[in-house]
Amino acid sequence: METIVNLDRISKRFGKRTVLNDISFTVARGEAVALLGPNGAGKSTTLSILQGLRDAASGKATVFGVAAGSRKAMARIGITPQDADFPQQVTPRELISFASAHFSQPDHVDNLISAFGLEKLIDRRTSGFSGGERRRIALALAFAGRPELVFLDEPTTGLDTGSQAMFNDYVRMFTANGGTLILTSHNLHEVETVCERIVMIDGGRIVADGPISEIRDAVGGKRIRFHLNGANGFSDERFKAADGYWSGIVNDVEPTLCRLLNDNPSITQLTVENLPLDEAITLHNATTKH
Amino acid sequence: MKQFITHFLLAAKLLLRMPGYWVPAVIFPSMLFSFFGVSSADDPTRSAYAMASFCIYAIVGVTFYQFGAGIAQQRETAFDVWSRTLPGSRWPSLMAKLVTASLFGLVSVASVIAVAFTLSSPAVSGLQLAQLVGVCAVAAIPASLMGITLGYLASSRTAVAIANMVFLPLAYLGGLWVPPGRLPDVIDTISQYTPTRHMGELAWHVIAKASIPTESLIAIAAFTALFGVTAWLGVKTDTKRRFG
Repeated sequence: METIVNLDRISKRFGKRTVLNDISFTVARGEAVALLGPNGAGKSTTLSILQGLRDAASGKATVFGVAAGSRKAMARIGITPQDADFPQQVTPRELISFASAHFSQPDHVDNLISAFGLEKLIDRRTSGFSGGERRRIALALAFAGRPELVFLDEPTTGLDTGSQAMFNDYVRMFTANGGTLILTSHNLHEVETVCERIVMIDGGRIVADGPISEIRDAVGGKRIRFHLNGANGFSDERFKAADGYWSGIVNDVEPTLCRLLNDNPSITQLTVENLPLDEAITLHNATTKH
Repeated sequence: MKQFITHFLLAAKLLLRMPGYWVPAVIFPSMLFSFFGVSSADDPTRSAYAMASFCIYAIVGVTFYQFGAGIAQQRETAFDVWSRTLPGSRWPSLMAKLVTASLFGLVSVASVIAVAFTLSSPAVSGLQLAQLVGVCAVAAIPASLMGITLGYLASSRTAVAIANMVFLPLAYLGGLWVPPGRLPDVIDTISQYTPTRHMGELAWHVIAKASIPTESLIAIAAFTALFGVTAWLGVKTDTKRRFG
C-alpha cells in the first residue's frame, strides 16, 4: 500500500518545553486515521508540521513522498480551518471559489453544495450562520480542491444528525476511492464511525497506534453487567457493584459467563457489550504504562 | 497571476462590504482638507498646494495607517491561518492586499481633489492632476511597505496606537499640514529625513510645474528599499513567532 504520510522521528520544542518527542508513524493511501490525545498532547503541532505551518526541530516529515508543506504536497491536500470562523462579508460560494482557485482540478461547486447540504446557504453572507452551518462550509472548503489527503479538525462539532450522516457517507466514499483521511476529534463515537485506526499522542509521544479493533482486543474485550439478587457471598475482584448492578471488564468472556451462571442462578438482566472506545483507550494506556 | 486575482477579488469584496471601515478612512483626509485646507480657497495657487499636500496625506493614511492596522487584525484570524495552508506562495495574497489598499488610497485622493474643486479653485491643469495622482500612486508603494511592516510586527491591539504615533508626526514633519517654509528650522531639518517630505516634494513640484527633484526621487527609492526590507523582516518575524 502506498505510503501517503510519513513522520520519521519528529521532535519539536517550544522554548524549553518538548512538545513532540521522537514520534514516528505512517499513513497509507485509503486509510482513515484519528489522531487522538488530551489537550496539549502534541496533536496540533503534529498536524501543523504535516500542513507546512511549522518545521520540525529534528526528524523528517514527508507527504506524498515530498517534504511536508512543499507546494507539491499542499496541492494534493485539503484542510478544514481550525475554527470555522470566516469573514462575515463573503458567501460560501465566494469562499469555495477562493479555495478552488488554488488547485489545478477543483471539484465543481455544485457537487460540494449537494455533498454538504449548502443549498440554502451558498449565496448568503456567512454572518449569522450557526456553528453547524459554518462547519459544513469548513468541510466543503477542505474538499474543494479534490484532495487526495484531507485533514479534518473536529469535523462534526455542531452538526445535526442528518448532516453527520451526510458527512459519514461522503468520507466513506472518499476513502473507498483511495482518499486518505487524518482526523482529530474529541468525539470518540465520531472516530469509531469514520476511522479504522487511531494514533494516540500524550506528552509528545505516541502511546497507542493501531486499528481500533486491535486496541480493544489488547485491552481485553467486553464488559459484563448483571443484577444479582442476594449477592451475599459473591466475590470476583474483576466485578464491582454500583447502582444495584455488578459490572466488570473481562478477557475470557465465555468461561466467565459459564462460571457466573453456574455459581449464581439468581443472576438477571445480564448484558455483554463492547467497551466504549474511550474506556478501551484509557485501559490500554494504563496497561501500557504498567 | 490567477492567485493574485483571486486574492485581490476577495480582499476588495471584504473591504467594499465593510463601508463602516473604509468610508471614514477614505473620507477623513477630504474632511480635514475642508476644515484646514479651505482657508486658502481664495488663492488658487495656495489652494493647489494644499490640495497636493492633503492628497499625499490621504494616500499615506490609507496605505500605511489603515492597511497596516488591517493586516495586524487579519493575520490573527483562523481564516488567515487556514489561507496559509492553501497551495501557492504567500506573496499573491500580500500583493493583493497592497493593491487593494492602494486603490482605496487613490479613491481617498480623488475625494480630496473633489472637495478641493468644490470648495476652492485650485490652479491645476488636467495633466497636473494626472501627474499628482501618479505621484500618489508612487507614494503608495513605500507607504504600503511601511504598513506591512507595522501589520506584521504589531499586534492587533497595538497596531492602531502605533500607527497613530508614527503617522501623525510623519504628516506634520513632512510638511503636509504646514508648508515646509513655515516649519521651525529644526523641524525643517528633521523633515528632510522623512518619507512624507519627499512624497510632498514630488507633489508640490507637480503643482509648480517644475521638474521632479532627483534627490526626492532617490530618497523615495531609498525609503522603498528600506521599508521593503523591514516588511520582509516583519513577515519573517511573524511567521517564526507564530509558526516557528
